[in-house]
Amino acid sequence: MSDVVVLSLRTAPVGALELAGVTPDRLAQLPQREIAALPVRHAGRAAALGDFFTVKGERAARVRLEGDLRLAEGMGAGMMGGELVVEGHAGRDVGVAMTGGAIEVRGDVGDNTGGARPGAARGMVGGEIVIRGNAGEDAGAGMRRGLVVVTGNAGRGTGRGMIAGTAVVFGQTGPDAGRWTKRGSIVACGPVARPATFRYACTYRPPHVRLLLLYLRERRGLDVADRWITGRYDRYSGDLAELGKGEMLQWAGE
Amino acid sequence: MIINGVTIEDTFAEAFTMRVARIVITGKTARWAREAALKLTGFATSVIGCKCEAGIERELTASETPDGRPGVSVLFLTMDKESLPQQLIVRLGQTVLTCPTTACFDGLPAAPDRLAVGKALRVFGDGFQGSKVIGGRRYWRVPVMEGEFLIEETFGMQKGVGGGNFLILAEHPDAALAAAEAAVLAMTNLPGVILPFPGGVVRSGSKVGSKRYKNMLATTNEAFSPTLRAIAPSALPEGVNSVLEIVLDGTDAPSIEAAMRVGIRAACLGGVRSISAGNYGGKLGPHHFPLRKIMSGVTA
Repeated sequence: MSDVVVLSLRTAPVGALELAGVTPDRLAQLPQREIAALPVRHAGRAAALGDFFTVKGERAARVRLEGDLRLAEGMGAGMMGGELVVEGHAGRDVGVAMTGGAIEVRGDVGDNTGGARPGAARGMVGGEIVIRGNAGEDAGAGMRRGLVVVTGNAGRGTGRGMIAGTAVVFGQTGPDAGRWTKRGSIVACGPVARPATFRYACTYRPPHVRLLLLYLRERRGLDVADRWITGRYDRYSGDLAELGKGEMLQWAGE
Repeated sequence: MIINGVTIEDTFAEAFTMRVARIVITGKTARWAREAALKLTGFATSVIGCKCEAGIERELTASETPDGRPGVSVLFLTMDKESLPQQLIVRLGQTVLTCPTTACFDGLPAAPDRLAVGKALRVFGDGFQGSKVIGGRRYWRVPVMEGEFLIEETFGMQKGVGGGNFLILAEHPDAALAAAEAAVLAMTNLPGVILPFPGGVVRSGSKVGSKRYKNMLATTNEAFSPTLRAIAPSALPEGVNSVLEIVLDGTDAPSIEAAMRVGIRAACLGGVRSISAGNYGGKLGPHHFPLRKIMSGVTA
């Protein structure tokens, strides 16, 4: 047993490397040899985790992935607990359908972070994803519970079809954010292309945003500026083409 | 034992097991947090008549509160598990929810017994309320005319101690009051302890029941009432003409004991003849605080 399992990329993938089964809660049960033998798919073909990664440590719910993982897909997908840290960029489907635990990516991520599996109506239903970089399209799409934080920019469709939960974007939020949202919150500290089906309610200082941003600064170590913590936010309710109990909170100044 | 010319009597305070919650109230300013806390803890001196006992434990700096605003920590006690959530729901709903700028947080997050206080108060939102989970704790956002009231869903409950006490026996009322004020000042802001009575001081220490009125749960303690010295059995030494009591509730016995040690020492001023304590012969309350052991630094 060790404190952390470290997976260091040894052989760079040439196609999509699907890591959907490599989750901290699973690795917490396995010795090093069995971790290396976990099945993955590379360019659509069966392979083993050990074919690509050097494995250090075993039976730990803290997992660190190292290397250029832009072609790695589904990291932390379906994870139920533990902590997954990616030291660098990550591919699409990070944390899809996860139910618990925490993922931190110290780089950019691809599309559908915290979103739903193909054909599924619901995205993540619990846990936290922190992206210290930019996110592709559909971050937090269909999420039912949980938290997605993007310190950089987020692409089109952030929080699309949210059922509940919270997405925070400190940079620019792309078009169609929150489209078809039932409930849930999108906190936009930067510019956001808001759908016309969100209606302005008021400008105020949301107490839960203050609490959340302080949590992100103090407990998750993010560099959150005071102006966002104490600032005013424009509240827009939406999507009024849906249930309309969601909200978009756009930072409006100090 | 004599401290600064004041006799510490060879007796003990007898206290009871209660149920306690710690409420953290924050506000835009310390003033508004305090306003809410004062209302919340109003009329909460004794379970005999108020059904609960409550007081401000200490004021909190912005760095000590969950939302980074100035706050106040309140301890809230009842005699049983059932009445604690009932009292909290009624009182928080009428005093903190109504108070501008405030938010309300659990101060005992590690306590396994959880009281669904915020969960009950959320319905003030009439269906417009919403919740957020932040750091594994759920908070309710209740829309109000000012904006939003934020309250944690559950509050921790644990066993506490109620009824720690000591008596200041003085030559005259001014000396008793000065000693009581000094004791309260010394005990203010100590962690885990509240003084639920006005200004932390009780002038009407009571005995259980009544000799004359069957419906009275508590009546005057004639043994410590100077005006009755000539007509009732008295516990007052010669020269004592006024007695004030300090009552302490807390999260645990060591906190009470530590506060008593500080308070008694501060109360040993000129004009005070002795320090005593109230008890029931040791038969009712499981917590005993022997004054001399406490003042000699020995853990009771």
